Amino acid sequence: MRLVLSINGSKREVDPPPSASLLGVLRDDLGLCGTRFGCGSGQCGACYVIADGRAVASCLMPARQAVDREITTIEGLAHDGALHPVQEAFVAEDAMQCGYCTSGMIISAAALLGRDGAPDEATIRDALAGNLCRCGVYGRAIRAVLRAAQVRGGRGEAPAITR
Amino acid sequence: MNVEERIRVEPDGSVTVFSGKIEFGQGIRTAFAQLVANELDVPIESVRVVLGDTARVPFDFGTFGSHSVEQEAPALRRAAAFARRTLITRAAARLGIPASRLDTRDGTIGDGDDRRVGYGDLVRETPLQGAVPEDEPLLPRERWRHIGTPRSRVEALDIVTGRARYVADVRIAGLARGAIARPPMRGARATRVDDRTALGMPGVIAVVHDGEVVGVVADREEQARAAADALDIDWESPRRDEPPTQVVPLREDDGVDEVLASAALTRSATYTLPSIANGSIGPSAAVVDVRSDGTTVYAATHRPFGLRDAVAGRLGLPPESVRVSPQMSSGTYGRSSAPDVSVEAAVLSKHARRPVLVQWSRAEEFAYSPSRPEAVLEVTAGLAADGRIVAWRYDEHTNVHTAAGPDPRVAALTSGRNAVPPYTIAHASVVLHVEPTPLRTANFRSLAAAENVFAIESFVDELAHASHQDPLAFRLRHVADARLRRVMERVAEVSGYGTTLGERRGRGFACTLYHGTYVAQVAEVALSPSGDVRVLRVWCVVDPGLVVNPDGVRNQVEGGIQQSASWTLLEELRHKEGRVATTSWDTYPIATFRDAPESIAVLVEGDASAPSTGVGEPGAVPTSAAIANAVFAACGARVRDVPLTRERVRKAAQPVAS
Repeated sequence: MRLVLSINGSKREVDPPPSASLLGVLRDDLGLCGTRFGCGSGQCGACYVIADGRAVASCLMPARQAVDREITTIEGLAHDGALHPVQEAFVAEDAMQCGYCTSGMIISAAALLGRDGAPDEATIRDALAGNLCRCGVYGRAIRAVLRAAQVRGGRGEAPAITR
Repeated sequence: MNVEERIRVEPDGSVTVFSGKIEFGQGIRTAFAQLVANELDVPIESVRVVLGDTARVPFDFGTFGSHSVEQEAPALRRAAAFARRTLITRAAARLGIPASRLDTRDGTIGDGDDRRVGYGDLVRETPLQGAVPEDEPLLPRERWRHIGTPRSRVEALDIVTGRARYVADVRIAGLARGAIARPPMRGARATRVDDRTALGMPGVIAVVHDGEVVGVVADREEQARAAADALDIDWESPRRDEPPTQVVPLREDDGVDEVLASAALTRSATYTLPSIANGSIGPSAAVVDVRSDGTTVYAATHRPFGLRDAVAGRLGLPPESVRVSPQMSSGTYGRSSAPDVSVEAAVLSKHARRPVLVQWSRAEEFAYSPSRPEAVLEVTAGLAADGRIVAWRYDEHTNVHTAAGPDPRVAALTSGRNAVPPYTIAHASVVLHVEPTPLRTANFRSLAAAENVFAIESFVDELAHASHQDPLAFRLRHVADARLRRVMERVAEVSGYGTTLGERRGRGFACTLYHGTYVAQVAEVALSPSGDVRVLRVWCVVDPGLVVNPDGVRNQVEGGIQQSASWTLLEELRHKEGRVATTSWDTYPIATFRDAPESIAVLVEGDASAPSTGVGEPGAVPTSAAIANAVFAACGARVRDVPLTRERVRKAAQPVAS
């Protein structure tokens, strides 16, 4: 099944089996392993990517449905060597332990800030409720997203999530 | 210990550190880098830490018990100090300046600013070698630049950009994917495998039936799974050889019964905790490449050398022909003590003659990986007329807590961990009963300590209320250890423990001494009218001795509290006849962003004169009791069964006819 996908601003041609998920194509055909496998059923958020501005579970999305969508993975958030404000904030707050769920959390947060420049804490909790973290860094991650929103507000610019 | 086993100063001036411990998110790579950068007086950016690679690091028994910094800090600091001293000696010869006039700065040595030589220049011809003296002097405290300084994780940039490579991200030439055919019940063995359909399916490279391993190797994971599902297998039910219950006395004083019989007040209670899942967000994975010239295992493991021996033993190879190369790992909290997924990948690789990646599905992870055992804790205590505990009888009924299986020699330290209370009690009997279970149980964060401390700290709270004493003051009457007293008093102070709160709100106290680390916590909860418990705030004071990375300690303790709150309120692995019924996040919910407390305030107040102790587990240990005690304070409901569901809270809150 030949597909042309738009991943992190580039057209990528792949030829996966018809049953392949977007997650499988990212990890196994394109080597974009920063998007993690967690549950395969959209329950944990480890595999989230941004599709047309929204955070979605790439494990549930058939690869063929990703055609005609702008897909941004964790590898595509930084621009020209500059981290996305959410990435910067996660480092600054050390909002990680094992880091396995971090890609998905950052994707959810970046998608949130793309549509709401100044989310309050409750909004952040709701937006990231699909991202499970077993190590328990929820409090730090909330602080990191608040910090990213502030930084963004200070610069008066929206963090781009697609290009 | 020779310096070259631990530290190598490279010709470019960078430093490589070797340790057999493993990073799962505890932050030890960062802490080790800080320790070495400190003693060697180099920028932390120039330090690289190699963990657990059996071809490169000295033997280590394993990463567990929150022992990594405790065990490694003294050795790494001494090795680094020896390296620094040796480099100064070499610089003296090179520069023609007496060593006494030379000093180090950021990886260089000199006398003032003019004539300085870099560490790399001093090792180019002769690498650092030699035995490190036991009494190697360490850098005086006024020279410390890294120990005690908060640091983000050294892997942080790789993690936030997605560049970090976890086990399942290993991509080596020829990599194939494996899937295992699972038996209907754990331990069943295949007597016949019909692979005719599977062999004709797309991408299939090999069908393997070798002992307990039945699986498929294919080009892609979905192909391997489809073919494994298409295998027609006859399974033979396992024989149930139940081991006898092990009874292990942990403390047996004379006269407990007599003192109980004559006590002014006696109370008894039974506490229960269910089996719970390790619940790694990343299911277990391994990549194994079996070749005629050597086998490489890319894995997550708490015991790299144990895993090397397990894989070698299973394949009939000499251990030295197997290299375990640990990769970054999803937090596993004890789960990776078992070699299972690596052995499966090794057997598949051997037959398929390809490197094979096996990653378990989420359902496999819940159903087949080891879980924390259940616990039933029976306790009776007697108080004298002055309100002090004078007798204590405690029976812990649980199952084996380690992947290695029941072993009476270590039962007290594993399944019996923290069963003996930290309180001064004149007459006590503490007995551990390790019973058989149809579940596969093994290591989980703090082993039995979280269960035992839930029972002990809940019961002490009950005794205080029954004898009309303040729970904190009552505990302090039985604590002699000054460091434990200090964290207890400090957490009461910072939390305003004892403040009157609104309706259906309460605060509960709990504390522990876990492997040398002192922890005291206060939890504040709010109850909904229907009995739902919400943890609003947690305060914690922790004393882990000399603190290497204060923010690393805070992060670990915060995470432990958050994870433990999840166990306490939500988690129960349901099973029937040894088969796990809760095999998804739907049926086994854990805490989400919405459940996270408004704040978890961790004060790191280590006694810097005491050796460093661990923080990976202790923060999680007292939280269940602090929450249960807060529920009691909020509504008078004493819930003795975890998880603290709304049904249990409502039932316990109902007034009981006297």
